[in-house]
Amino acid sequence: MSESILQMTNISKTFPGVKALDDVQLDIRKGEVHALIGENGAGKSTLIKILAGVYTPDPGAKFFFEGKEAEIKKPLDATMKGISIIYQDLSLFPNLTVAENIYIGRDSDKKAWTKVKWKEIKKIAVKALQDMEVDIDPNVPVEQLSIAQQQLVEIARAIAFDAKLIVMDEPTSSLSEGEVEKLYKIIEKLKSRGISVIFISHKLKELFKVSDRFTVLRDGKYIGTYEAADMDEPKLIQLMVGRNVTYEKNESTVQVGETIFKVDSLSKKGNFADISLEVKKGEVLGITGLVGSGRTELAQAIFGVNNPDEGSLELNGEKITVNSASDAVKKGIAYIPEARQTQGLVLEQSVINNMSLPVLKKLRNKLKLIDSKLEVSLAEQYVKSLDIRPALPKLPASNLSGGNQQKIVIGKWLATQPKVIIFDEPTNGIDIGAKTEIHKLIRRLANDGIGVIVISSELPEILAVSDRILVMRHGRISGELSVQEATQEKIMSFALQGQGSAKTPVVNTESGQVSQEV
Amino acid sequence: MKSLIKQKEFSIFAIIVLLCIVLSFVSPVFLTVGNFLDIMEGNVVMAILAIGMTLIIITSDIDVSVAAVTTAVAVTIGSLFGHLPNSWVSVLLIFLIAPLVGLIIGCVNGLLVSRIKIPAIVVTLGTLNIINGLVLYFTNGQYLNSSNLPAAFISFANYELLGIPILIYLLTVVAVLTWYILKHTLIGRSVLAIGGKSQSAVRVGIDEKKIKMFVFAYMGFLAGVAAIAQTAYTKAVDPNGMLGLEMMVIAAVVLGGTNIQGGRGTIQGTLLGVLLLAIIENGMILAHIDTFWQKVVTGAIIVFAISYDRISYKRQQAKLTKIEVEA
Repeated sequence: MSESILQMTNISKTFPGVKALDDVQLDIRKGEVHALIGENGAGKSTLIKILAGVYTPDPGAKFFFEGKEAEIKKPLDATMKGISIIYQDLSLFPNLTVAENIYIGRDSDKKAWTKVKWKEIKKIAVKALQDMEVDIDPNVPVEQLSIAQQQLVEIARAIAFDAKLIVMDEPTSSLSEGEVEKLYKIIEKLKSRGISVIFISHKLKELFKVSDRFTVLRDGKYIGTYEAADMDEPKLIQLMVGRNVTYEKNESTVQVGETIFKVDSLSKKGNFADISLEVKKGEVLGITGLVGSGRTELAQAIFGVNNPDEGSLELNGEKITVNSASDAVKKGIAYIPEARQTQGLVLEQSVINNMSLPVLKKLRNKLKLIDSKLEVSLAEQYVKSLDIRPALPKLPASNLSGGNQQKIVIGKWLATQPKVIIFDEPTNGIDIGAKTEIHKLIRRLANDGIGVIVISSELPEILAVSDRILVMRHGRISGELSVQEATQEKIMSFALQGQGSAKTPVVNTESGQVSQEV
Repeated sequence: MKSLIKQKEFSIFAIIVLLCIVLSFVSPVFLTVGNFLDIMEGNVVMAILAIGMTLIIITSDIDVSVAAVTTAVAVTIGSLFGHLPNSWVSVLLIFLIAPLVGLIIGCVNGLLVSRIKIPAIVVTLGTLNIINGLVLYFTNGQYLNSSNLPAAFISFANYELLGIPILIYLLTVVAVLTWYILKHTLIGRSVLAIGGKSQSAVRVGIDEKKIKMFVFAYMGFLAGVAAIAQTAYTKAVDPNGMLGLEMMVIAAVVLGGTNIQGGRGTIQGTLLGVLLLAIIENGMILAHIDTFWQKVVTGAIIVFAISYDRISYKRQQAKLTKIEVEA
């Protein structure tokens, strides 16, 4: 039982500008279920992708598999050793049948003209499915299966491959309770056969149910490996969140004015349900929650990109309807997307052209042509007021650093004179110094009277910029906190709590807020 | 529930049957064996190219240089015949050289797409123009007629077995071979896998570069075969004879149920797509409808088919739940 099947030591991974993993280690025993946990961005996925051979680690990394030093340079290396990865987004082929999906990849090292043995494919698939005692027709295309069934097909693939180690990345995120129970049973069965499982999940309750040990990562660093028996939820949350808050918590007490923007019971099937919120003059409203809690979908709904089924929006006391992004811009709503480089900027174009883009109509002269002098002066104005460096508006946006690119996006939207700005992960991929600067800028916008909503999965960031914090979970608002009472631990417990089981009212005693779970 | 592909193939088959019934009333000649053999022989070139194109579109790429490559090989054949003796050996030699020349051009496309990762539409637009330019430079646009071709080749072109023209056999070989590759070989299944979800393909260890290289090389190879068919059918080499044919080829593939976004497509479907376009053309000629109406009808059918494809795809996407909202 205590024999190691996998040991990874000295694992670091540097992406341009970011150190995603810093000297991380992982030790998995034969036949154990090992939970890998950490906040969003702690480095879990990066570590798994290194194990899978999708990413190459920085030099110095060492792998031992079944006691022998091993090399994993490409996905096939991992597969051949008996490591199967079940990604959260699954690696199935929707157009191919269940049987073929289970078999595929087995022959990847064979010659291209090898004849496909349909009979054998079906036999192997049927056996793997029977092993798991699941009832899925091997002849239907995978796209006709439910997500839960698709996940079972992935597990069947791992079994068919004689996997010795199966990694499951958030396997329960899209399963119903009954399906989760079934998955636990299958995991038990895998364990009894001596197959090890690495289990990644945000649902702490279920982790305690299935795991033998925990490895905790935080900010790309290894925190420790613990026996499940010695652990409890509060301890685990503390280890995940840590004490090292990187920025100062927002201490300012703002004079909150009248409501600028109001969202009333907004719902969209399969995205979010019954969302009501208000943004008041002078304050920053922070929205957080785990990945997949519906934050971004909500923001896009407000911005008209993802039309809701029900609910209404109110701007300065007037009901508005927003059916498209251009509608939103006209009404004074700006959305600064998460993927700055692909959705926020035209990278090849100059700072000037980027900034003038949403307001080109206003920059026309009498002949209805773009007045380039106006364009330049507009850009210069924001380059100065936002302190964009280098202060050369003619430079292509791609030549600026991440922080300064983000400022261009902000400047671009300020030019439309918005009444409400929504920031989605405003400092994603920006270095620490620039982050603080962006935070200050966000606070300044609120002081200037713009309604500001900040969506972020980084809790220190939410605490640094917000006056009020809404926590989302499973498409609903699960808690509201003022920044004074908020701590990372409290936010985390709202983001995680009761998942999969509790349907009881969540009472926030300090603020007296009750968010009813129906 | 039958799979989408089957439904698609069935619906195009139904359209063909319906069209045949209508046309048999319009013209007594339409529903005769002779007319059908004519239709088939006249569209062997398009069918061969569409078969190759099916594989490319399944991987979610496109090749707009097919007609140009075919022309280039046909011109090569034409000029080679000028130097070869009038013998069946020459015909055999052409059957080796033509596919080889096509294969080489296909490999160039494939290399640029898979290694340098230039979008296929850009690469093949480039090769299309280069080839068309070179063909005009070498031929001065001059047309070669049957007197320029050896008698051995002409008798090959006229050969019929059991009353069926040789070119139809050639198409059958190509269709069966490609069907076998797509259905029964590792590389064929990888073509479908990449088109279905390329990220998954990478994760299970499929070499995407190799597969893309293969589909473009195979397309080139088939363009070489199609060049022989074209030369045999027209008994001439016309440097301008196939301008714009690539669009009809792509249309036939899409009509045949191959998803333009990749992942889905069958050889049977493509052959039905070719047949549909061919019958429309033939029927309109028999009904004495002006040729420009053929273009309008063909275009309308393509737009309709692709819109249908796109709308059903969008509906399917919209149904997928993003987040499980707690009830």
